[in-house]
Amino acid sequence: MATIKTIAIIGASGNMGSSIAISLAKAPYRLLLFGKEEKKLRSVFKEIKLINKLVNAEVIGCAADASWEADIIIAAVPFAAEKELAEKIKQVATGKIVISISNPLNDTYTGLVTNADTSAAEELQNFLPHSKVIKAFNTTFAGDFSQPVIDGKTVDAFIAGNDEEALQTVSDVVRAAGFNPIKAGALAVSRTLENMQALLIQLSIKNNYNWVAGWKILHN
Amino acid sequence: MYEILIENIFKKIVLNNDEQQLLKTFFIPKKLRKKQCLLQEGDVSKYLAFVEKGILRSYTVDEKGGEHIAEFAFEGWWIGDQFSFLTGEPSTYNIDALEDCELLLLTKQAEEQMLEKIPKMERFFRLLLQNHLIATQGRLVSSLSNSAEEKYKQLVNACPTIPQRVPQHMLASFLGITPETLSRLRKQISQRK
Repeated sequence: MATIKTIAIIGASGNMGSSIAISLAKAPYRLLLFGKEEKKLRSVFKEIKLINKLVNAEVIGCAADASWEADIIIAAVPFAAEKELAEKIKQVATGKIVISISNPLNDTYTGLVTNADTSAAEELQNFLPHSKVIKAFNTTFAGDFSQPVIDGKTVDAFIAGNDEEALQTVSDVVRAAGFNPIKAGALAVSRTLENMQALLIQLSIKNNYNWVAGWKILHN
Repeated sequence: MYEILIENIFKKIVLNNDEQQLLKTFFIPKKLRKKQCLLQEGDVSKYLAFVEKGILRSYTVDEKGGEHIAEFAFEGWWIGDQFSFLTGEPSTYNIDALEDCELLLLTKQAEEQMLEKIPKMERFFRLLLQNHLIATQGRLVSSLSNSAEEKYKQLVNACPTIPQRVPQHMLASFLGITPETLSRLRKQISQRK
């Protein structure tokens, strides 16, 4: 029996954070939830308990404390809030996996605010030089988590990062959340992944996918 | 968060300010709550843990489900299954927290990187391993010849607060005696004072 890993979800009261938390309710992890909207956080916690009465989960009142206790930290915050979060958790995130889920979109969703030679994930890695930043959950809409099988196919979820062991660990988390994990490559591949989601958002608006849509690689 | 570690290292070697800052980047700060485990039998011991705060124990479980405590680790001590850590073989030990703990974890990979970047730490770990070897051999000898009373005194000498912090049955398990014998022993020791 393997030691249970603890996942801190920072931003668990947000759209993405709450969806990730709920999708992991039955997974073999200990979940620590932190979020700014207390009421929403309580209702997310209640929902998790409803899904799995025996869930090993807890609401924690401080992002740094939750991260200190965690093995894996999910930064479920918007791109603009990542720097501030990084400063809060930097001291306790050394050597730990930090998952970057954000897409640095501009206000009109027509493109990214990051330069072409970087990505939100790489910037987070710069803020947290001693952590293992992994890109994940950025190519999936919050709505996909409650139905990760669309049109009969399990949605692919791409992962990028520079540490092989960390990639495998996050791959397991992604699978536990219901998606089909695909290791896309080094952290710099996040530039492509973040642009892929920008495209999916643009197409969702244009074609009315109703925010339940995802990527699937068809292959033999 | 690193105070006791730095203090512990300074007992053996001296690091300059830059080295101290660099040192911190190799350790994973980890809070463990009471009863949570750091290592389970059958897993590979991925970490050596330094205890900044709290108490942990390592123990084995026999075929009948009985627990046998091999070691306690408290503030300023290291704990981990060295054999499993070094060989990558599954551990035969369990390690869990007897109090809420603040730990600094070192992986094999981080240790190698640290020794490369801060060569002085080679000396620190050599001395640490030497002490560990001496303690292990000493323990082997004491388990063969020393009385439970001597072993109890040695433990309390190393950590004076341990009788208040660790349940009696665990202390008894560590000493290889029954809780009743331990209770008698403690009475005798306190009467002699």
